[in-house]
Amino acid sequence: MTDDPIRRVLDGHARLPVSAWALGDGDNLYEAGMTSHASVNVMLGLEDTFEVEFPERLLRKATFSSIASIRAAIEELIASPAT
Amino acid sequence: MGTWGGDAPSSPDSAGAPAPRPSGGGIDLIRVGVDAVVVDHVRESIENFGERYLDRVFTRHEQESCRGSEDVRARGLAARFAAKEATIKILRPQDRSVPWRAVEVQSHPGGWCDLALSGEAARLAGAADIRGFSMSFTHEGQLAVAVVAAWRGTS
Repeated sequence: MTDDPIRRVLDGHARLPVSAWALGDGDNLYEAGMTSHASVNVMLGLEDTFEVEFPERLLRKATFSSIASIRAAIEELIASPAT
Repeated sequence: MGTWGGDAPSSPDSAGAPAPRPSGGGIDLIRVGVDAVVVDHVRESIENFGERYLDRVFTRHEQESCRGSEDVRARGLAARFAAKEATIKILRPQDRSVPWRAVEVQSHPGGWCDLALSGEAARLAGAADIRGFSMSFTHEGQLAVAVVAAWRGTS
């Protein structure tokens, strides 16, 4: 999996003041300007893009704090979609 | 942190009927949370994701409390989202997950609101010895702002 779909979702929904393509995988998205409300939209956009559903256990700030953490969560959901 | 003297609030809503104070002490304000949400962002989320957005974030009661025109609904839901986030700041979940629906803004016919917690939100409040909340929200232009205060009784 590349980071491209994640960055596309971020550019579409995170309301960052800079493009997600300008951010590193480990950069903190909240420090970059993403609000909690925007993170809801990011979550729903990721669900549409990757055809997954974030379970309640992943609804924590850390899950959406960086491109790397989002990628890890998506990979986990794709590998074990029912958990 | 401060201690409220005199007619200290004693129920989760700021305008609710007084309840007995904890015996032998006052009521301590222990944490405060605040959050602001842009109303148009909520409106756009509804346009983009519809019921999925509404059902993931807001309880049925919250959605029904905000019925009306598109603007009325977006403004009401923006304030409720701000209240949820303000409450989550108070709960300090760290690496715990607190689903947005676990913090419910309950609307009363008299016009005031209070909070009802469930699941992990209620557990975190209990662990912090929080006995109740007071909350208020307001709108100014496109901004909805909520302030939530948590208090506990002292012995």
